[in-house]
Amino acid sequence: MTEPLLELRGLSGGYPPVSVFRDVSLSVKQGEHVGLFGPNGHGKTTLLKTIAGVLDPWDGGIYFEGKRLNAVGKMQARVSHNLNYDLFRKRRINALDVVDAGLIYVMQGNLLFPEMTVEEVLDIAPRAARNRPGVAQMRRQIHDLFPRLRERWTSKIRYLSGGERQMVSIAVGLLAMPRLLMLDEPTLGLSPKLRIELSEAVRNIRETGVPLIIVDQNVEFLTSLVDRLILFDHGTITREIPAENMPKHAELMDMMFGGAH
Amino acid sequence: MKYAPPFQRTNGFLPVLIVFVILLLAPFVVTETYSRHTLIIVFIYAVLASNWDLSLGYGGIVNFAHLGFFAIGLYTYAIFAKVIGIDPWLALLLTPLFAVGFAILLAIPILRLEGIYVILVTIAATQLLQQIVVSQSTYTGGTSGMVLLPRLTIGDYNLSSDNRIGYYYVALGLMAASTFFLYKLERSAVGRAIKALRDNKYYAISRGVSEARTRLLTLSLSAIFPALAGGFYGSYLRVASPDVFGLGFLTTALSVLLLGGVATIWGSLIAAFVVVGLSQLLADYGAWRNISIALVIIGVVVVYPGGLYAALQEIWSGFDRAKTNLIAAFRRKAGAADRARAMGIRDQLIETSHGKVSVCDTRSGEQTIIFIHGNSSCKEAFRHQFHALRDQYRLVAFDLPGHGVSPNADPEKDYNLAAYAQIVRDLVDRLKLGTPVVFGWSLGGYVALEYAAAGNPISALAICGTSPVRTYPDDIPKGYIASPHMELAGKRFHSPFEKGQYAKHTIGLPKQSEPILWQAVWRTDGQAREQAFAKLKTTNWQRQMRVIREGSVPFTMINGSKDPFINHTYCASPEFNTAASGKPITLDGVGHATFLEGPEGFNAVFRRFIQQQ
Amino acid sequence: MGFEAFTFILMSGILLGGLYALMATGLAVVWTTLGVFNFAHGAFVTLGAYMAWQVSQSVAGGFGFLIAVATSVTVMFCLGFVLHFALIKPFERNQNVVLLAVVSTLAAASIIENAVLLNWGPRDKQIAPPITSKIDFFGASINTFDFVILGIALFALFGLALFLRRTTVGRTLRAAAQNREAAELMGLNVPKLFAITLGLSAATAALAGVFVGSLRFINPTFGADPLMKSLIVVILGGVARFTSPIYAAFVVGIVESFSAYFLGLYWSPALLFAMMIAVLLIKPEGLFGHRSKTL
Repeated sequence: MTEPLLELRGLSGGYPPVSVFRDVSLSVKQGEHVGLFGPNGHGKTTLLKTIAGVLDPWDGGIYFEGKRLNAVGKMQARVSHNLNYDLFRKRRINALDVVDAGLIYVMQGNLLFPEMTVEEVLDIAPRAARNRPGVAQMRRQIHDLFPRLRERWTSKIRYLSGGERQMVSIAVGLLAMPRLLMLDEPTLGLSPKLRIELSEAVRNIRETGVPLIIVDQNVEFLTSLVDRLILFDHGTITREIPAENMPKHAELMDMMFGGAH
Repeated sequence: MKYAPPFQRTNGFLPVLIVFVILLLAPFVVTETYSRHTLIIVFIYAVLASNWDLSLGYGGIVNFAHLGFFAIGLYTYAIFAKVIGIDPWLALLLTPLFAVGFAILLAIPILRLEGIYVILVTIAATQLLQQIVVSQSTYTGGTSGMVLLPRLTIGDYNLSSDNRIGYYYVALGLMAASTFFLYKLERSAVGRAIKALRDNKYYAISRGVSEARTRLLTLSLSAIFPALAGGFYGSYLRVASPDVFGLGFLTTALSVLLLGGVATIWGSLIAAFVVVGLSQLLADYGAWRNISIALVIIGVVVVYPGGLYAALQEIWSGFDRAKTNLIAAFRRKAGAADRARAMGIRDQLIETSHGKVSVCDTRSGEQTIIFIHGNSSCKEAFRHQFHALRDQYRLVAFDLPGHGVSPNADPEKDYNLAAYAQIVRDLVDRLKLGTPVVFGWSLGGYVALEYAAAGNPISALAICGTSPVRTYPDDIPKGYIASPHMELAGKRFHSPFEKGQYAKHTIGLPKQSEPILWQAVWRTDGQAREQAFAKLKTTNWQRQMRVIREGSVPFTMINGSKDPFINHTYCASPEFNTAASGKPITLDGVGHATFLEGPEGFNAVFRRFIQQQ
Repeated sequence: MGFEAFTFILMSGILLGGLYALMATGLAVVWTTLGVFNFAHGAFVTLGAYMAWQVSQSVAGGFGFLIAVATSVTVMFCLGFVLHFALIKPFERNQNVVLLAVVSTLAAASIIENAVLLNWGPRDKQIAPPITSKIDFFGASINTFDFVILGIALFALFGLALFLRRTTVGRTLRAAAQNREAAELMGLNVPKLFAITLGLSAATAALAGVFVGSLRFINPTFGADPLMKSLIVVILGGVARFTSPIYAAFVVGIVESFSAYFLGLYWSPALLFAMMIAVLLIKPEGLFGHRSKTL
């Protein structure tokens, strides 16, 4: 039996004191591509940010390649609302450790570094992975994956279109030599043409064998890419759908909202 | 609608009155000049800082030219009273005029600016003001300032004679007037506009708050009392020098403000005593004094940014929790017999996943009915049902955590709808209640809906005094009649008056006939109220609506026609009627607690509803 | 006014501009990176000057001056690095971080000022300039040392710009400044980078302090004036580009030296503040920039 690559065990989190997701258990195997689907504002991004180490998990464990990434035990409830807890409480997860482990999160709708050029951004992108083999090769691969970026090599990010920014974001994620890549709404706000181009790139990444977790609102885009679809609603996983019976948009809506919308 | 009872009916009145009386009588005890001088300086800083809070705390305009108002007051007094030579009292009254004029000039550049730029412009404006003052040495005395300003006198009586007792009372009066002004202002329409603009600028503008006018008003209103304080300061120390523009004044005033806590008037008043007292104590240590005050400021800002007033509130809150918990523990023993008489059965404590709760269970009967009480109430609300229905059904009622005789629980985790619903589920499992009928009153109605929505075993669902919510928070003002008393439901601290009001409207019966329920309002953990309401927004309302729409669980609403909160038209909307439930049932002549005020009518209706299933 | 006087005033304005550029850049770098305004910047200038004075007391001559500069800059870099963790990092996640930082840095300024007062006393001091010769520049007799200062200041700024643009560390620093969260997700140690930024800013302040200290007298509170001037410069120039405050610094320096000549000492600060308010009214993003902040 192969050990799962990423495993969440009863993970809870949120923005204290508001709990956003509760008791999420999930495992992603090596080479697997998982889709996460659910309504806006129900905690998908918060979940991914927690896994990525930006937010502190409240409870449960995040295991990557069998290694625990977050501190053991529950986060203690805040007794005082005014005390500066950042001062006394250690972070329960460190984003640097997560990146070092090879778990890379690509943020949604990302402006990235608006005043830096594509070249500069891609130059510093592999900081975390600079000692890992294959960075130089990945650098070359970026050019093939996103030919469009080569034309914009010396433009500042702020002058790029939404799709190009998204490509830079994904390229930055790839240059960190991910063992698992989490893409958060890569097609958010893109034109249909760009969406096709981007989904082509994601498909190519998929071919290279990098395991993926993709969050997206576009059902067709999502279902065509993933092996397994996870429905996420009100901060919990409500259903898992294997690749064999990938639903259509309408079916999915019915599953999620039961005609209430 | 914001709940704003008059001051003499809120919690703060008594402490403020006591402190004021103490300060009024203080000169009879504090007779030596230096202590009185310290107190006068305290009052001046209190006025300065609390008015600064109006723009900085309430208005969110970080105005570093606030000391400029003080300086203008000082120099206006100096110039009018000394150079022009009018009556000192008149000169004092003229000071706000000029300060407000400066505030208006100041408001113009910062209307368009945000955040740090406001800080920079206001600092620059103060510097500009200082340069002007220093350069006009013919009128202002330049860098060396003016000395021997006229004193305030009443007739021939010099206010600084008799160890400055006159000045003491003028300063106290100034502080009292300023505090009263700020208190009234905060609760006025203007005050709310100021706060609304700070909290959500664009929403406030879209609701008709003029940004320019409100900012202008904020700055002008915050200039009045500092100017008076400045003029008074001039008449008291008889010196006007450009030192008032220096960092020393600014740092002291700012530390008073921050140590007290931003956006609280009272915090500044308390902190003025602490900071000025400390700085007078350390007066002999020169540089070390400044260093230690700066360290205190950094310490407060870094460790406890809420400040003194927030600390007081937290201490009070802790005290309140301990007190309510003790009352509950005491009543568990002392009132057991009374409660057993009311319910016809003794209650017991049962451990659940969200703390211990006190449960009444009649133990016999095929079908179980679970009763869930509302906010700030207790299980004894259902005593008539326990007597009338116990022959037919097994009845279970319990006190929510933090209510009745259940102990208090963890505010963050245990005071919300999901936790309450989980408690019901735990009871169903532990007491083996099968598939119960669940009845919820008011907040309990939402607990019942949440319980059903989470897919727990249930055979029928009835709610009372609860409007189902389709989307939060839009449906709250639709489902309920907006009244100031709604505000009380989510408020942590109630004054005795507010508790009485809350009890009167929710229970609907006088204290003599329902002593246990009235006591429950006093006993309830304030955090339970606050948290349960604050966390309504995290509830899965669509899931609850699905239960009602799908009609898989028989559902009904039983409301009183005289319910002061429920919007009956909203509840009667066809969305909430299913084939199983029909229209909501409205009982005539009763209020929020239908089952308590008109038990016969309610029981008949309720029994019919259960028997239909 | 003759050509000679004109050249003299212009040159002193340019020299002032160079010093202001050095100070204002330090302030602007912190503002664009950490998102807070460092009111202890003036105190950094003071402390830097005093430290250099202390060293130059024990080691005399041109060599001593160099050692003094090096010591002061290094120590201030370390101090800035450490102060980030004491003054700004504790509440960086608080939504009122701007206001809290104003307060904590003001308090820090008060501490530094009073510590300087305790350690070195209130009396005026001057760092002996290593070069005292004068040269003739278009008819005006100007200190050679002024040119050296101007040269070093511009060289330091150029070096800083090069560091930020061309080196990987500098680039990561800019990345952290522009999008903190994304930088964290990229595996950058953001608190450390921010601390480096404050350290660099303190180091430039120290350099400016040494120069000011060798041109004028220093006392424990003399940092207030440089702080105000840097503030004016940053507002006038904006922070859209690394160079914006530098241009503004020269404008301010030249305006100041001419207005001091024509309007007198009292009115030249007033003129500058009025200029600043006018710029904020008409073009709040600064004379040399658009509405964005960057490194």
